[in-house]
Amino acid sequence: MQEQDFKVAVLPCNGIGRLVSTVVRLAGYRIKEMRPDQVVLLSSGRLAVNDAEDRAIFDKYPVLVIDGCRPHCASFMCDELGKTPAARLYVADVAAEGKISIAGEKRRGLTEKGQRLVDALASKAVEEIDRIIADEMLSTL
Amino acid sequence: MAGKVCLQPCLGLRKEAVLGRQALYVVHEDLRPDTTVLGCGPALNANTQEDVDFINMYPVVAVEACELDCATRLVGKKGKKAAVTVRISDLVTSLAIDLAALPDHEIDTEDAAVQAVAKQIAEQVDALLA
Repeated sequence: MQEQDFKVAVLPCNGIGRLVSTVVRLAGYRIKEMRPDQVVLLSSGRLAVNDAEDRAIFDKYPVLVIDGCRPHCASFMCDELGKTPAARLYVADVAAEGKISIAGEKRRGLTEKGQRLVDALASKAVEEIDRIIADEMLSTL
Repeated sequence: MAGKVCLQPCLGLRKEAVLGRQALYVVHEDLRPDTTVLGCGPALNANTQEDVDFINMYPVVAVEACELDCATRLVGKKGKKAAVTVRISDLVTSLAIDLAALPDHEIDTEDAAVQAVAKQIAEQVDALLA
Protein backbone atom coordinates (compact mmCIF):
# COMPACT_ATOMS: atom_id res chain seq x y z
CA MET A 1 0.00 0.00 0.00
CA GLN A 2 1.28 3.46 -0.82
CA GLU A 3 2.40 5.45 2.21
CA GLN A 4 0.51 8.73 2.47
CA ASP A 5 2.15 11.87 3.80
CA PHE A 6 -0.57 13.52 5.84
CA LYS A 7 0.81 16.57 7.57
CA VAL A 8 -0.25 20.11 8.35
CA ALA A 9 2.03 23.12 8.00
CA VAL A 10 1.51 25.43 10.95
CA LEU A 11 2.26 29.11 10.40
CA PRO A 12 2.37 31.04 13.68
CA CYS A 13 2.87 34.76 13.16
CA ASN A 14 5.86 34.62 15.55
CA GLY A 15 5.84 38.36 16.02
CA ILE A 16 7.70 40.16 18.79
CA GLY A 17 5.89 43.37 19.59
CA ARG A 18 3.00 42.23 21.70
CA LEU A 19 2.32 39.90 24.58
CA VAL A 20 0.24 37.69 22.30
CA SER A 21 3.31 37.30 20.06
CA THR A 22 4.93 35.30 22.83
CA VAL A 23 1.76 33.26 23.30
CA VAL A 24 1.69 32.38 19.60
CA ARG A 25 5.38 31.55 19.45
CA LEU A 26 5.25 29.19 22.43
CA ALA A 27 2.02 27.63 21.19
CA GLY A 28 3.78 26.77 17.92
CA TYR A 29 6.39 24.75 19.76
CA ARG A 30 3.72 23.14 21.95
CA ILE A 31 1.70 22.11 18.88
CA LYS A 32 4.78 20.46 17.39
CA GLU A 33 5.33 18.59 20.67
CA MET A 34 1.71 17.42 20.71
CA ARG A 35 1.67 16.22 17.09
CA PRO A 36 5.34 15.66 16.21
CA ASP A 37 4.64 13.45 13.21
CA GLN A 38 1.79 15.46 11.77
CA VAL A 39 3.04 19.01 12.10
CA VAL A 40 5.66 20.98 10.22
CA LEU A 41 6.32 24.38 11.78
CA LEU A 42 6.83 27.21 9.33
CA SER A 43 9.01 30.21 10.05
CA SER A 44 7.25 33.48 9.28
CA GLY A 45 10.68 35.10 8.93
CA ARG A 46 11.70 32.69 6.20
CA LEU A 47 8.35 32.77 4.43
CA ALA A 48 8.35 36.56 4.38
CA VAL A 49 11.38 36.41 2.11
CA ASN A 50 10.10 33.39 0.21
CA ASP A 51 12.81 31.00 1.41
CA ALA A 52 12.73 27.96 -0.86
CA GLU A 53 12.65 25.32 1.88
CA ASP A 54 9.78 26.83 3.84
CA ARG A 55 7.97 27.76 0.64
CA ALA A 56 8.05 24.14 -0.52
CA ILE A 57 6.50 22.99 2.78
CA PHE A 58 3.95 25.79 2.58
CA ASP A 59 2.98 24.73 -0.92
CA LYS A 60 2.91 21.01 -0.17
CA TYR A 61 0.71 20.78 2.92
CA PRO A 62 -2.55 22.31 4.11
CA VAL A 63 -1.77 25.34 6.25
CA LEU A 64 -3.04 26.28 9.69
CA VAL A 65 -2.50 29.96 10.33
CA ILE A 66 -2.21 31.42 13.83
CA ASP A 67 -2.56 35.19 14.15
CA GLY A 68 -1.60 36.92 17.35
CA CYS A 69 -2.89 40.42 16.93
CA ARG A 70 -5.16 42.57 14.84
CA PRO A 71 -3.13 43.05 11.65
CA HIS A 72 -3.45 39.25 11.16
CA CYS A 73 0.07 39.11 9.75
CA ALA A 74 0.24 35.33 9.30
CA SER A 75 -3.01 35.45 7.33
CA PHE A 76 -1.57 38.30 5.26
CA MET A 77 1.48 36.18 4.50
CA CYS A 78 -0.70 33.29 3.39
CA ASP A 79 -2.71 35.58 1.12
CA GLU A 80 0.47 37.16 -0.22
CA LEU A 81 1.77 33.74 -1.20
CA GLY A 82 -1.49 32.84 -2.86
CA LYS A 83 -2.85 30.13 -0.60
CA THR A 84 -6.11 29.81 1.28
CA PRO A 85 -5.43 28.40 4.73
CA ALA A 86 -7.16 25.17 5.73
CA ALA A 87 -7.88 26.83 9.08
CA ARG A 88 -7.14 30.06 10.92
CA LEU A 89 -6.89 30.71 14.63
CA TYR A 90 -6.87 34.11 16.27
CA VAL A 91 -5.59 34.37 19.82
CA ALA A 92 -8.30 36.76 20.97
CA ASP A 93 -10.98 34.25 19.94
CA VAL A 94 -9.34 31.51 21.97
CA ALA A 95 -8.88 33.81 24.97
CA ALA A 96 -12.52 34.85 24.80
CA GLU A 97 -13.80 31.32 24.39
CA GLY A 98 -11.81 30.09 27.37
CA LYS A 99 -12.31 33.30 29.34
CA ILE A 100 -8.54 33.47 29.81
CA SER A 101 -6.96 36.76 30.82
CA ILE A 102 -3.27 37.37 30.41
CA ALA A 103 -3.30 40.87 31.86
CA GLY A 104 -0.13 41.56 33.81
CA GLU A 105 1.94 39.02 31.88
CA LYS A 106 5.16 40.07 30.14
CA ARG A 107 6.12 39.35 26.54
CA ARG A 108 9.68 38.42 27.51
CA GLY A 109 8.46 35.43 29.50
CA LEU A 110 5.12 34.02 30.59
CA THR A 111 4.07 32.77 34.00
CA GLU A 112 1.59 29.96 34.59
CA LYS A 113 -1.19 32.43 33.82
CA GLY A 114 0.08 33.09 30.32
CA GLN A 115 0.86 29.43 29.78
CA ARG A 116 -2.87 28.69 30.20
CA LEU A 117 -3.54 30.60 27.01
CA VAL A 118 -0.63 28.86 25.28
CA ASP A 119 -2.15 25.51 26.26
CA ALA A 120 -5.64 26.53 25.15
CA LEU A 121 -4.33 27.81 21.81
CA ALA A 122 -2.28 24.67 21.24
CA SER A 123 -5.24 22.44 22.09
CA LYS A 124 -7.46 24.33 19.71
CA ALA A 125 -4.81 24.08 17.01
CA VAL A 126 -4.46 20.34 17.51
CA GLU A 127 -8.23 19.93 17.13
CA GLU A 128 -7.97 21.74 13.81
CA ILE A 129 -4.94 19.69 12.75
CA ASP A 130 -6.72 16.41 13.50
CA ARG A 131 -9.75 17.60 11.55
CA ILE A 132 -7.65 18.72 8.57
CA ILE A 133 -5.77 15.42 8.45
CA ALA A 134 -8.99 13.40 8.78
CA ASP A 135 -10.44 15.44 5.94
CA GLU A 136 -7.35 14.83 3.79
CA MET A 137 -7.36 11.11 4.55
CA LEU A 138 -11.05 10.67 3.85
CA SER A 139 -10.74 12.56 0.60
CA THR A 140 -8.36 9.88 -0.69
CA LEU A 141 -10.77 6.98 -0.07
CA MET B 1 20.33 62.54 13.34
CA ALA B 2 17.78 59.76 13.67
CA GLY B 3 17.76 59.70 17.48
CA LYS B 4 16.57 56.11 17.58
CA VAL B 5 17.46 52.78 16.07
CA CYS B 6 15.06 50.13 14.82
CA LEU B 7 15.87 46.65 16.08
CA GLN B 8 14.66 44.13 13.52
CA PRO B 9 15.03 40.46 14.45
CA CYS B 10 14.63 37.55 12.07
CA LEU B 11 12.01 35.88 14.33
CA GLY B 12 12.86 32.39 13.18
CA LEU B 13 12.31 29.21 15.16
CA ARG B 14 15.81 28.02 15.99
CA LYS B 15 17.59 28.56 19.29
CA GLU B 16 19.71 31.41 17.98
CA ALA B 17 16.50 33.22 17.04
CA VAL B 18 15.12 32.78 20.55
CA LEU B 19 18.38 34.07 22.01
CA GLY B 20 18.29 37.09 19.70
CA ARG B 21 14.65 37.80 20.43
CA GLN B 22 15.15 37.70 24.19
CA ALA B 23 18.24 39.88 23.92
CA LEU B 24 16.24 42.46 21.99
CA TYR B 25 13.64 42.64 24.74
CA VAL B 26 16.51 43.41 27.12
CA VAL B 27 17.97 46.06 24.82
CA HIS B 28 14.63 47.71 24.12
CA GLU B 29 13.07 47.51 27.59
CA ASP B 30 16.08 47.70 29.91
CA LEU B 31 19.27 48.97 28.29
CA ARG B 32 18.21 51.47 25.60
CA PRO B 33 14.47 52.15 26.03
CA ASP B 34 14.75 55.74 24.82
CA THR B 35 16.85 55.11 21.74
CA THR B 36 15.36 51.94 20.26
CA VAL B 37 12.16 50.74 18.69
CA LEU B 38 11.35 47.09 18.24
CA GLY B 39 10.39 46.13 14.71
CA CYS B 40 8.14 43.14 14.11
CA GLY B 41 8.96 41.19 10.95
CA PRO B 42 5.52 39.78 10.12
CA ALA B 43 3.96 43.17 10.82
CA LEU B 44 6.47 44.86 8.53
CA ASN B 45 5.77 42.27 5.87
CA ALA B 46 2.05 43.00 6.23
CA ASN B 47 2.76 46.73 5.79
CA THR B 48 1.58 47.63 9.29
CA GLN B 49 2.11 51.37 9.34
CA GLU B 50 4.03 51.54 12.61
CA ASP B 51 6.58 48.99 11.44
CA VAL B 52 6.92 50.57 8.00
CA ASP B 53 7.52 53.91 9.72
CA PHE B 54 10.20 52.38 11.92
CA ILE B 55 12.39 51.32 9.00
CA ASN B 56 11.76 54.55 7.13
CA MET B 57 12.54 56.82 10.06
CA TYR B 58 15.39 55.04 11.80
CA PRO B 59 18.56 53.15 10.91
CA VAL B 60 17.96 49.41 11.20
CA VAL B 61 19.96 46.85 13.13
CA ALA B 62 18.93 43.51 11.69
CA VAL B 63 19.51 40.62 14.07
CA GLU B 64 19.88 37.28 12.32
CA ALA B 65 19.75 33.74 13.65
CA CYS B 66 21.23 32.08 10.60
CA GLU B 67 22.92 32.65 7.28
CA LEU B 68 19.64 33.23 5.46
CA ASP B 69 19.58 36.81 6.78
CA CYS B 70 15.78 36.98 6.63
CA ALA B 71 15.46 40.22 8.60
CA THR B 72 17.99 42.00 6.40
CA ARG B 73 16.24 40.70 3.31
CA LEU B 74 12.81 41.67 4.60
CA VAL B 75 13.99 45.24 5.15
CA GLY B 76 15.34 45.12 1.59
CA LYS B 77 12.00 43.82 0.34
CA LYS B 78 10.42 46.95 1.79
CA GLY B 79 12.87 49.17 -0.06
CA LYS B 80 15.36 49.99 2.70
CA LYS B 81 18.81 48.77 3.62
CA ALA B 82 19.75 47.61 7.09
CA ALA B 83 22.51 49.78 8.54
CA VAL B 84 24.00 46.87 10.43
CA THR B 85 23.42 43.13 10.34
CA VAL B 86 24.25 41.32 13.57
CA ARG B 87 24.52 37.55 13.40
CA ILE B 88 23.77 35.77 16.63
CA SER B 89 25.98 32.86 15.55
CA ASP B 90 28.95 35.27 15.41
CA LEU B 91 28.16 36.57 18.89
CA VAL B 92 27.80 33.03 20.20
CA THR B 93 31.33 32.38 19.00
CA SER B 94 32.91 35.65 20.12
CA LEU B 95 31.22 35.56 23.53
CA ALA B 96 31.95 31.83 23.96
CA ILE B 97 28.29 31.08 24.65
CA ASP B 98 27.45 27.42 25.17
CA LEU B 99 24.40 27.30 22.92
CA ALA B 100 23.74 23.64 23.67
CA ALA B 101 23.31 24.47 27.34
CA LEU B 102 20.49 26.93 26.65
CA PRO B 103 16.86 25.78 26.60
CA ASP B 104 15.35 25.40 23.14
CA HIS B 105 12.26 27.58 23.30
CA GLU B 106 12.23 29.70 26.43
CA ILE B 107 15.40 31.45 27.53
CA ASP B 108 15.17 33.65 30.59
CA THR B 109 16.09 37.25 29.87
CA GLU B 110 18.24 37.20 33.01
CA ASP B 111 20.36 34.41 31.53
CA ALA B 112 23.99 35.47 31.19
CA ALA B 113 24.00 34.62 27.48
CA VAL B 114 20.99 36.84 26.81
CA GLN B 115 22.49 39.69 28.81
CA ALA B 116 25.84 39.38 27.01
CA VAL B 117 24.23 39.39 23.56
CA ALA B 118 22.02 42.32 24.57
CA LYS B 119 25.05 44.31 25.66
CA GLN B 120 26.73 43.75 22.31
CA ILE B 121 23.63 44.85 20.41
CA ALA B 122 23.28 47.92 22.64
CA GLU B 123 26.83 48.85 21.66
CA GLN B 124 25.81 48.66 18.00
CA VAL B 125 22.91 50.99 18.77
CA ASP B 126 25.22 53.45 20.47
CA ALA B 127 27.68 53.33 17.58
CA LEU B 128 24.93 54.11 15.08
CA LEU B 129 23.75 57.08 17.11
CA ALA B 130 27.21 58.45 17.86
